[in-house]
Amino acid sequence: MVLDFQYDELLLPDKSIVNMKAGDVLYGYAVSVRYPSYRGTFVSCIERLEVQVDGKEIAQNDMRFALNGKEFLVSQLGELSKEHWFVLDTASIIIMQDNGLSEGMHEVSVRLVHRIPYTGYFGQYLVLDSVCKKTLECKK
Amino acid sequence: MANNKIQLSASLYSLSSYYIKEIFSLEECLKAIRDYGFHGIEIVAAQMVPEYPSPSDKWLGEFKELMVKYDLKPVCYSAYIDYGIRSDRDLNTEEIIQFTVNDMIYAKKAGFGLVRTQHSITPEIYERMIPYCEKLDMKLAIEMHHPHHPHVPVWEKYLEFMNTKGKGYLGVVPDFGIFQLRPHKLLVERLKKAGFREDRLEKVLELHSSRAPLGEAMKLDLNHLEAEFTGSIYEKFNPINIDELAALIPVTPYIHGKFYYLENGDMDECIPYDRILPKLAELGYEGYIAAEYEGHHFNMEIDVPEQLKRYVALCNKYL
Repeated sequence: MVLDFQYDELLLPDKSIVNMKAGDVLYGYAVSVRYPSYRGTFVSCIERLEVQVDGKEIAQNDMRFALNGKEFLVSQLGELSKEHWFVLDTASIIIMQDNGLSEGMHEVSVRLVHRIPYTGYFGQYLVLDSVCKKTLECKK
Repeated sequence: MANNKIQLSASLYSLSSYYIKEIFSLEECLKAIRDYGFHGIEIVAAQMVPEYPSPSDKWLGEFKELMVKYDLKPVCYSAYIDYGIRSDRDLNTEEIIQFTVNDMIYAKKAGFGLVRTQHSITPEIYERMIPYCEKLDMKLAIEMHHPHHPHVPVWEKYLEFMNTKGKGYLGVVPDFGIFQLRPHKLLVERLKKAGFREDRLEKVLELHSSRAPLGEAMKLDLNHLEAEFTGSIYEKFNPINIDELAALIPVTPYIHGKFYYLENGDMDECIPYDRILPKLAELGYEGYIAAEYEGHHFNMEIDVPEQLKRYVALCNKYL
């Protein structure tokens, strides 16, 4: 009876999308995410991270995951068993896009497939598939 | 509350929904708990310790100041056995031992005398923890959760260590969920929302309550989802006898007073506090019972402060 873990709505907090700049070059934008659970986790428990913006799937190589003052490629996440994601901390998914995102409202959907490290022991872990979709504002 | 050997504490985990939605900060959780009439606290380290798993001296100092400010006793530091944090393999025995030692060290630094761990620790590791318990003067207790009971082979082994070479340091934290008779209101609501037709669900609950066998419930006209849920109800709400506490209490340093929803402060319809609490007093239990509200797994919108106040009233009535 998989009814537990009603936390998916936490995945996308009501925070604006922020454009990312290097000098005066807009190279992408950042979406805030939180870990959808009652407790924190280790980043290595993230098995998949997928993002759609305005209905368009973002390529894995065009994303960075920023947490604890560090930035990681999606392909590195599985290795991060020493990186704790505190349940109240906001991580950023930085999406590489020339000129950033236009000002205004955008539909963002995030899918986080994550392993619960203390459940289903001995190799068979509970893996949750959390999805959250929201319309968020990108401010200038 | 006439019994002065049993005291009430609260697991901060009870306030999960308030904490996660940032309605209450850690300090506000502590203040609330003290205001409602609890005297001690349990912290789930992986939930409310921002620098988990190794909090700084600065954070630990602030935490200890809060304990003094709100006159709360740090009773239990709750740890997980996170076998699955690596993507390439499970943690091995030595790693689990060292992670558990670390939790015990940080528990000690934060002023706790007890670490609550999980049954998946294995008897081999649990036995090897005894010297660390002695060195740190730290109790290490395993929570007994549904569907476990004292006669599960692994628990027979744990109880043997608790009663012999680990006596005084190893122990059990019975979770009152092992005595749960029937699904709580919030689960029933979730089942309906998930598509369990109301008339069928009522019938199933009636049969389950009257102890009719599962086979009989399965004869109802249930669809696939309803049949699956019915199986779960029968599997999950299959309580052990309260008399089993007699074997546990001598090695029980702490108790999880699990509850999901209280309609009032008189009675829990699902977990028979009216029979459990007098039993604890009769068996001479001395220590804390921690309110462990878990309704937030089923409904994040419940007024948890009210639930905790009802819990205090309920315990005061039967202790």
